Parts: sequence; structure tokens; C-alpha cells
Amino acid sequence: MIQTEQKIIGKAISGDRSAFRELVLEHSHAMFRLAWRLTSDEVAAEDIVQEAFIKAWRNIGRFRMESSFKSWLHRITVNTAMDHLRKHARRKQFETEEPEWESSGQQGVTADTGTQIDIRKQTQTAMMNLSDAERTALLLKHYEGHSIDEIARIMEITTGACKQNIFRAVKKMRIALSPLVAT
Amino acid sequence: MNKITDDDLTLLYYGEHDDPQLARTVAGSERLSARYDALCSELQLADAYLPPQRDGDYGIEVWQKISPRLGEKQPGTMVRLKSWLVSLTKPRFSLAGAFSLVLVVALAFMLGRNGGQEIVNSPGETPDGSAVTLAGIDSKRLLNQSVSGHLEQVNLVLTQFANSDETSANETTYAIDMLVANRLYRQAASARGERKLAAFLADLEPLLIELAYGAQSGSPATRERMQQEVREGLLFRVRIMNKEVNKPEISA
Repeated sequence: MIQTEQKIIGKAISGDRSAFRELVLEHSHAMFRLAWRLTSDEVAAEDIVQEAFIKAWRNIGRFRMESSFKSWLHRITVNTAMDHLRKHARRKQFETEEPEWESSGQQGVTADTGTQIDIRKQTQTAMMNLSDAERTALLLKHYEGHSIDEIARIMEITTGACKQNIFRAVKKMRIALSPLVAT
Repeated sequence: MNKITDDDLTLLYYGEHDDPQLARTVAGSERLSARYDALCSELQLADAYLPPQRDGDYGIEVWQKISPRLGEKQPGTMVRLKSWLVSLTKPRFSLAGAFSLVLVVALAFMLGRNGGQEIVNSPGETPDGSAVTLAGIDSKRLLNQSVSGHLEQVNLVLTQFANSDETSANETTYAIDMLVANRLYRQAASARGERKLAAFLADLEPLLIELAYGAQSGSPATRERMQQEVREGLLFRVRIMNKEVNKPEISA
């Protein structure tokens, strides 16, 4: 019998570790993608995913079933990633580091041409030049497909502030990426 | 028509614009279409921001790394309470469970009787203004502490109910115990003149009755309605009332 996620969450809330394991298996990939996009750092993203799941386990009793579990996990992931960025001043390091795709063969898109590498490099640079709030809001909208209301809840800001973060992020991204459109 | 800004086009792109006419307006204007197409092309480039892929076993890898650390978790009050409730259903502790119920009955009886006397004289206080005591015990405090314990258990049972898809035998058993205790505390509170508390416990009763006797035979829709009722208000009220009875004084 396939258990619904709600049922599994209910079991995890009551302390069932095997139910929580199911949730970890289900959400790890998505949380890694989000953590990586927030930090642009593979090792940090793995640490954030683990830390976020441990926080989720410790606080799962506070999860309210009427809200989305995915959103709740995203909120923990975002907060954990922000803590990480604050601690490690990631953005400063980013400016001096080689982009990760140049050393990794496990990319989603094959970086086989100079143009593709340029686009990816520019996109990554543009993303990391956004403020944390702008980047978070844009990522949750563009890649995760959350509604603005959900993003506001995840980031614990008003919907108006959320929209403004998205608008600013889009403007900055367009300025950074528009020269690439013609290429 | 108001000027259409890039922010409007951004909202349109992400399907968040409130105006359903906007898409048609943009499509009908060459200039707006060009602006919108430029926005789309630029934002689509952001799709190149692709994370490194993890293999299919990544979830297992994460679990193996975190599972030794999950043991550090200290079970919260709710988990301990739940364990205690579960233990009551096991045969070896059934006697303890029955004893707890007898204690509840005895306590409620004592408080009720004592409260009845107070109402005739001076509700809540002796003529000299001090708290009424019963064999050296502050009966009001005792009632509040007992009700607080009861509300914690109600909170636990309701939380579990709100989060589960099916009725379990345990849920029904807990609900019956809660119902019996709830009636006794309501009577004790009423006899003591604790009108607010008594009214709250009376409000709680119909749901406990449904949980105890109706949930198993009810339809999924009924269960969903009850769960919604619990989630959307009752749990909150239980927690608020529990806070109130934990205060040094509770107004009737």
C-alpha cells in the first residue's frame, strides 16, 4: 500500500524515524538543487541539506499539516543557507573562485561550447551578485514555481516586499544577461 | 489603460498578474509584444543556472550521514506525552491507566464538592480573602493543574487526529478517556464557579463524543470536516485555555 505523504509526515511527527527517512529520500534532490542555487557551492549545498534535515527532524512537531511540507522544508533550507552565507561570506569568495562547472563533469547541460560556458558563467555571476533576499525570491519563483504568497511565507516577509525583491532581481538579471541574447 | 511596466510583464511571465486582460493587451500590441519577448528571452537564459546533478542514491547518502545525528534529538513534551498515552493502551500498563482515571474521578468529585460549598459562601475565596484550601491543598490550583494536564492530553489527541488519515483503535480509546475526564472536569469547574473554563470544556465535549463514538463509522468527508474544525480553531483554543489555567489566577 502506498502511503500518502501526509500520513508519512504524521508518523514522522510522532517520532517515527523510518517515516522521516522516507521524507529524506523524497526531498533530498530538490533540497540540494535549492541549496546549490542559493550558495553556488556544491560542498556547502550538501552540508546545508544535511543540516536542514536535522533541523526539520528536531522541529517537525511544529509543522502544521494545513501548510505545504515542501514549502516548510524550503523555509528551513533557505534559513540554513542564509546562515551559511553569513558565516562564510560566500559571495566574496565567489568572486575569486573558478566556476564549479569547469571542474565538474556532472553538469545537467554539457558545457561543450564557449557560448554555453559564457552563458552559465554569466548567469551564475549575475545570480550571486543579487542580494540574498533578491536571489532567494527569484529562485523560489523561477526554479521552484512557488507562488508569491508562498515565497513571502517562506521568507517571512510581506507579499509586497516579496514582489519588490523579484522585480529588482529580474531587472538586475536582465541587465546582466541581455548582452548574451544576441549571441 | 494605465501604463504597462516591466514589473507587470514580469508578473505576467510568472503567471502572477491580477489582470486577466493583460495577456490579451500585450498580444495585441506590437510594441508590448516586443518588450515581453525580450523579457522572456532574457529570463530564459537564467535556466542555464543548473546545479550539479546528484545520483539516484543521493537521498540514501543523505540519510546515512544524518541518521546518527538524529539520535541527538531530545523528545519534546508532546512526544513524551504520546509515549505515555501509548503505554496506557498496552496490557502491562492498563492497570495504571485505570488508576489514573480513578484519580481523575476522585479529584473531580472532591473539587466539585468543595466548590459547591464555596459558591454558597463566597466563590473562590474564604471570607478573609485567602484561597480556599481542602485538607491543606489549594483546591483551585489543584483543579487548574489537573485541567492543564487534561488539556495537554486533549491537545495531543487532537493533533494526532488532525494529522492522520484513518481512525485507529488507540484514537477511539483515548477519545473515550478524554471524554470521561472532560465531563468530570467540566462538572468540577462548574461547581467551583469557573464559568469560562466550564463553558470551554462544554464546547469541547461534542467533538470528543464524535471522536469517541462517531469517527470510526463516519465518512471520510465527516472526518475531514472534523479535522478542519480541529486545525482551524479548536487546537488553538485548547492551547490558549491551557495557558490561562496555568496562570496564577483564572477569571471565571
